[in-house]
Amino acid sequence: MNTNRKFESKMSKNRHLDPHCEAILEEYRDNLPRFREVEVQVRDMLIRTLSEAGLLVAALESRIKEYDSLAGKLELKGHKYSSLADLTDILGLRIITFYIDDVDIVASAVERLFTIDWDNSVDKRKIHEIDSFGYLSLHYICSIPGFPYRFEIQMLTLLQHAWANMNHDTGYKSGVEIPKGYMRNMSRLAGMLELVDDEFSKIRIELTDYRRRVQALVKSGNLDEVSIDGDTFRSYLELNPFGQLNKRIASINQAEIQDVPLMPYLAVFKGMGLKTLGDIASIVRNYSEGAYQIACYQIGLTDLDIIASSIGPQNLCIAYILKNGGGKAGLRYMFDLLNGESESNATIADMMLEQAKDLPFMNTGN
Amino acid sequence: MEIKVNTKDSVTTAQLIGRLDTPASQEVSGDFDNLMQFAAGTIILDCTQLEYISSSGLRLFLSLRKAAASKGGKVIVKAINNDIRSVFMMTGFLNLFEIQN
Repeated sequence: MNTNRKFESKMSKNRHLDPHCEAILEEYRDNLPRFREVEVQVRDMLIRTLSEAGLLVAALESRIKEYDSLAGKLELKGHKYSSLADLTDILGLRIITFYIDDVDIVASAVERLFTIDWDNSVDKRKIHEIDSFGYLSLHYICSIPGFPYRFEIQMLTLLQHAWANMNHDTGYKSGVEIPKGYMRNMSRLAGMLELVDDEFSKIRIELTDYRRRVQALVKSGNLDEVSIDGDTFRSYLELNPFGQLNKRIASINQAEIQDVPLMPYLAVFKGMGLKTLGDIASIVRNYSEGAYQIACYQIGLTDLDIIASSIGPQNLCIAYILKNGGGKAGLRYMFDLLNGESESNATIADMMLEQAKDLPFMNTGN
Repeated sequence: MEIKVNTKDSVTTAQLIGRLDTPASQEVSGDFDNLMQFAAGTIILDCTQLEYISSSGLRLFLSLRKAAASKGGKVIVKAINNDIRSVFMMTGFLNLFEIQN
C-alpha cells in the first residue's frame, strides 16, 4: 500500500465508514486515473465547441472530488448510494459566462455534446419561489460513451459564481445553523446580483441592436446619419472606401498594395472634427484628387513599388488639413495621433508642407 | 550591406549598416530569415547606420513585422534618418512600425 493509500485509509477509518462505503471508496481509487482522463477529454470538447461557436466565457473550471470530501459525503449519506456510479459529482465542471443569456447557449452546446440525464439535472433558476432569491444555476448530469460514470456540469454567470463562492465560503454546508440575519443578507445580495445580471444583458442587447442598425445605415449609404465611433468606422471600412484612391495611387508605380490596419485613422478623422461617416465620404469625394497629386509628387519619381492601404486615408487627411489652413500644426497633430508624439513628426510636417505648397490642388477650389 | 545581430534576454538587436537596396536586400534576406526565430520577443532594427531603403528592403521589414505579430512579438525600428522616414511616410507604412529615435 503506497503512502497516499495509507493516508486515505487512515482518513476513512477516522470517519467510521461501513464496508459498503469502503467499497465505494475503493472503486473511486481504482478509477481515479480514468476520471482524470475524462476530465481532460470533456474540457477539450467544451473548449473546442465554445470556441467554434464564438462564445466567450469567463472561465471553465473542473475538479475531481477529493478523497476526503468523498469519504465525508459517504459518512453522512453513504446509504443512498449503491455504487460509485450513483454519485454524479465525482467529476464536476463549471462553465462561467459573462452574460445570463449565454447560460442557455452554453447549455445547448452541452446538450449536443453529451447525453443528459434529465431526471437528475436541475435548473435552479426555476426552483425559486417568486419571493425568494438564492443560488441560480443550471446543473446538467452528463455522460459520454465508454465511461460508466456520470459527471456534473454547472452553468452560471460570473456574478452567480461569485455569490455561490461567497455563500459556500461562509460554510453553509458545515451543518452549523446559519443565523437568519446572514441568510437574509445573502438573499438580498442574490436578488441584487440577479438585477445586475439582467441589466448587463439588456445593455448587450441594446448595443447589438445599435450595431445592427448602424450597419444597415452604412450599407444603405445613409452615411450622414451615422456618427463616427469605433463600431461605425469599422463597418464603414468594410465598404473599402479608400480602395479606389489606393488603386489610383498604386498605378503611379504599378505598386503592390499591402493591407494594413486602418482603425488608427479613426482618431485622426475625429481629431479633424468630423462628426459622421458622411463627413469622411465627403472628404473622399472632394480631396481624392489632392491625395493623388501628393502621391504623384512623392513616389512618382521613385522606384517604390509597394504601398500600404493606409496611403489613401493618409494623403486625404494631408490634403484636407492643408487645404483648410491646418498648416504645419495640423499636420504635426495628425502624425502625432498616428505615430505617437515625437519631434520627428514636426520634421515630416515641414517636409509635407514644402512638398504640397505648389501642387495644383492647393490652388484650386477643392 | 552588413547586419550585426546581438540577442540579450528576449530582445534581439540587428544593426543594419549600409544601403538596403534591391541587390543588398537579396543578399541579406537570409539574415532576416534568421531573425524570424526571435520574432516571439522584441526585435530592434537599429538603423543608425542605414543610409537607404528600397521597396525590397521595406518588404523585408514587413515580413519580419508580420512574423512578430503572429508570434506575439514586436519589431521596433530605431534611429531612421529623414530620407528613410520619408520613404516610410510616402508609402504609408510609417505608423505601422513602432519607430524610436
